[in-house]
Order: sequence, then structure tokens, then C-alpha cells
Amino acid sequence: MPPKVSLKKLARKGGLFDGVKSNIHALAIGVKYLVDPQRSTLLYPKEYIEHRPGYRGFIVFVKEKCISCAACSRICPSAAMKMVRVTEIDPKHPDKPRQKQYPVINYQRCIFCGFCVDVCPTEALYHVPFHDIVYENLADMFMTLEQFQVEPQRPAVSEGLPVVYEVDEGKGLVKRRRG
Amino acid sequence: MTSGGLEAGAQRIPGVTVKKIEKEVYEIFIGPQHPGSGHMRIIVRLDGDIIVEADPDIGYVHRTMEKLSEVREWLKPIPLLERMTIIDACNVTLPYVNALEKLMDKTPSTRASYLRVLLCEINRVASHLYGMGIFGVFIGHSTMYMWAFGDREVFVELAEVLTGARLTHTYPIPGGVRRDMPQDLPEMARRTVRYMRGRLEEYRKIFVDNPVIVKRLAGVGVISKSRAIELGVVGPNLRASGVKYDVRIAEPYEVYGELDFEIPVFEEGDALARTWVRVEEIKQSLNIIEQAVNWLETHKGEPVIAKEDFDKLPKLHKEVYEKEGRVKLVPAHATMKIPAGKAVARGEMGRGEIFYYVESDGGTTPYRVRVVTPSARNAIVFKHIVPGHTLMDLPAIYGSIDYFPPESDR
Repeated sequence: MPPKVSLKKLARKGGLFDGVKSNIHALAIGVKYLVDPQRSTLLYPKEYIEHRPGYRGFIVFVKEKCISCAACSRICPSAAMKMVRVTEIDPKHPDKPRQKQYPVINYQRCIFCGFCVDVCPTEALYHVPFHDIVYENLADMFMTLEQFQVEPQRPAVSEGLPVVYEVDEGKGLVKRRRG
Repeated sequence: MTSGGLEAGAQRIPGVTVKKIEKEVYEIFIGPQHPGSGHMRIIVRLDGDIIVEADPDIGYVHRTMEKLSEVREWLKPIPLLERMTIIDACNVTLPYVNALEKLMDKTPSTRASYLRVLLCEINRVASHLYGMGIFGVFIGHSTMYMWAFGDREVFVELAEVLTGARLTHTYPIPGGVRRDMPQDLPEMARRTVRYMRGRLEEYRKIFVDNPVIVKRLAGVGVISKSRAIELGVVGPNLRASGVKYDVRIAEPYEVYGELDFEIPVFEEGDALARTWVRVEEIKQSLNIIEQAVNWLETHKGEPVIAKEDFDKLPKLHKEVYEKEGRVKLVPAHATMKIPAGKAVARGEMGRGEIFYYVESDGGTTPYRVRVVTPSARNAIVFKHIVPGHTLMDLPAIYGSIDYFPPESDR
């Protein structure tokens, strides 16, 4: 069925009775939520949200899978990912050092669009499902090749409990403890 | 403005306009640091309590989006253009993607179209709730502010489950979308829809039918039908003035032509009617969300990108799609060239019609990207509708037209 236009009228309520009725309605709703309030505030860092696996959070690099194609750094819309040249020595041929390039990331620029993860032809990059990492200074946000390969740890994990938010028909977003 | 009224011999500084202020007129600069001005300034001239002149001073958050798009490869402006209105991210980038598809002569799969529509409507509800929340706090109704922002979170959560990001989804790409929906999304969406329907009834009681709010909004900032057309107002503000115009009906894109929904139109044209249009539009968007998830649940099997693209994908990419529902890009996406040509595309955002003109010279970057956003068209309301009202009506008019400076300034 195709969409259609529907002309609607505002119900103009001018009478004293309507005014009193609307006021009582508004107050009744207020009292309802005074008695049974809707609360969904996250008590961070005592609690932290455990996101689903598909969440686009921080990015981790798996060096073993990388084929040095540089597709990730070329597709990055904010130029956060750059390739670095590394001289590697293969144990089988120690006399022939190889030039390889690997990606590094600058989290000052990264917008977590996930293009790099999606474009990687060998799945050498993956997202961790969280976002809440704080750096003490801006220079720390440049990942070196070694740092980029380590899965970051959430600071909230050490002191908080994981929660998930679920949609409830009556209460909206409801926080549930997990673990 | 000329400096004709100045005394002879007054010093003239290049680039500075000096004018004489009449004695009775009081000039107020609302913004850009004022909490109720947004990222803009409204220069208001008052005679007593009556506004005699209002000048919207826009451009504080101009980020040269159009020029930046010209130096980025075709896919890269998508995350950039999203940042005009991150609360309406799918609606704001979809016409750009549609324009690219026209240039590339590519048709998205039907499943992708439904997924796009699903996210667009989630965004539309979130955008309206955001607008209503800001509106509520503008006119001193902080309950509405808390409620609307709390309920917007439900839709943001829904979008996060679908796309993996709360706001900057970067979801549509030429030929399809980036992810298939998770298995449990339809049930979650249905729960959300049922919850929101109940909530709208409570919104009506505490906000839009509340006598205090009705007194503040009824008859304020009236834009007549002819005036609305003359000023070029778009979106819910236009439909509140009795003009039956919506891009989803005028030029259906994606699968909007096949869905069953209504375009609510009111004739009063005042701030109250504009609020009601948004409430009614949320109801219709909920209907569309329901229809979209029902369709998506019963029509499985089709990939979420164009068939010819999917068949060309390497084995690993297909495995990832089967396992995670994630569409992997190919390295050619980074350097793709689009045939030379011009394309226009438009869509209906939460705030109104958005228009894109995209021109390609056959290279790896756009030759020109022109964006006309709904807020850019609605800004004129300040100049022409506000004068004649009292100063206390200014927040009511500002909030009811749902003007969003970052979207207008681009």
C-alpha cells in the first residue's frame, strides 16, 4: 500500500472543564513517576556496559595475518592509520633482511568508522567491543606497532560489574547485571 | 546597513559597519555563548518587550564540508557528511549514497533498501525526540527534556545493535549497507515500538496537552501556508502550515513507495501544530519500523549488497558475511573511480528535505558535492516570523522549528 497524506486537526480545548481535566492528567502522570520512577543511569565505573560483539570499539592488529597491502591506511577517512616500514629477519634466511610495512594507528584522529577492519583482506584487524579508554597525555594515543598488537584493557573491569541494557515494553531501557 | 546616520567626521574603520541606534530600541545579542542559542547568535532588537527585528547570525560551526568532500575519495565523505547531524546520521548520508549509485548505475538489493529505511526511521524518531527535548528545556519544561533524551537512548541502542555504533553509523555504502541485522533485532524493535507508543500517550498528557504548554505555544510563531511556501520552509514546519509535501511521497526513494504510512499535515502553522506534527510523525515512523522488521524477518537469503558485487567477493569475505553478517569492503573501494557525470538526490530528514548535487569528472574524488540541508532553509524563519512577538516567545519559536546550527552551517 503506498503512503498517503492525512490531514489532521488540532483539538482546540478552550473550556474550563478541559483545562482542569488536562491539568489533572498532567499531575497524575507526574505522581505516577514520582512513585515509580524510571531509572537507567549507569553508575560508572562501579558498573560498565558490556557491548555486543559487533560493537565498533578500539582496534587491534594481528601481525601474523598482515600481508602489508596498505588497504587499511588508504581507506581511512581521517588519515588515522599509517604504514610503518620494518626490517624483519626471517630465521630461515638470516642473511636476507626483508622490508615489510605494517599499520599503526593514531587514536587522536580515529573516528571508529570501521572501514579499515572491513577492508582488510585477511582479517588482520578486529574491533574490541568497548570504547572507554583514557590516555594520560596525547602522545600516548599514537600506537606503536607493539602497542597496536596488544588488546587494550578496560579500566572499569578491575573495579566494576558488567551490565547490559535491554529494552522493556513497559520501562524502556532496563539495566541488568551480568556475571 | 550604511553609516549614513553618523555625524560628519566620525572615524570610519574598514570592515566595520557602524550605525546609529534609535533611542527606544534595545539590542540584545543572544548567543553564541548563551545556553539557549545553540551554535549561533540571534541579534534581537526590542521595543519594550516586543521584538521589532531579529537577525540570525549563523556560521559559527562552518566546517567546509563541501570543500573537504572534494579532496576525499568517494567513500570517505560518508563519515564526514554524517557529522553535520550525527543524531540523524543515516538520513543525512543516504542521498549522497543514492547520488553515487545513480552515477555508478548500481541498484541496491531490496534487503539493503529495507535496512536503510529501518535505520532512517530509527534516526527520525531519535531526531524528533532530541528536538522535543531541547524544545522542552527551552520553554522551561525540564521533565520533557529528561524524558525525551531518555527515550531517545532506546532508539540509539537499537541503532547500535543494528550498526555497531551509537551515532555515527556510516551504514549505507554504494550498492548496499555494511551489515545485516542481528537475529534478535526484530523482537527488540517490536518491544521498542510498543514501549514508545505507550510513552507518546504520556507525552501528550504531560507536554503537548498540558494547559501550561498549550498557553505558551498556541498561536505563537504562526507561519501561514502561503508564507511557508514563499519562505521555502521545509519538513515538519512546512507540513504544520498545511502544505502536503514530503520527499518520501513526492519522489519516493528506497522502498518508501511500498510501505503503508501517513504523512501528517496540520493547518494551524503555529508552534503547537509544529510540535504535533513531530508527535504524529514519530507514530508513523514506529509503523514503518514495524513493517520493515516484519519484511526483513520473512525475506531472508538475499545479500545486503548488490548481487553482482556479492558474487565477486573473495571466499573469506563471504565467510565473514555468513558468520557475522558484516559486509567486508574490497581494497578497490579506497581508490574506486566513478564515471563522469552529474547526479542529484534528495531525501527527507527528520528536519526536512536534504538535497545533494554530486558531480564526477571520472576521477577518484568528487569534482563537486553540494549539500542543501533543511536547517539552512529553515533559518529564514527567525528573520521573518519572530518580529512582532514578545521576547519570551523567541525560545518557543526557536524550539518549535527545531533549528540545528551544525546542520545548517555544514
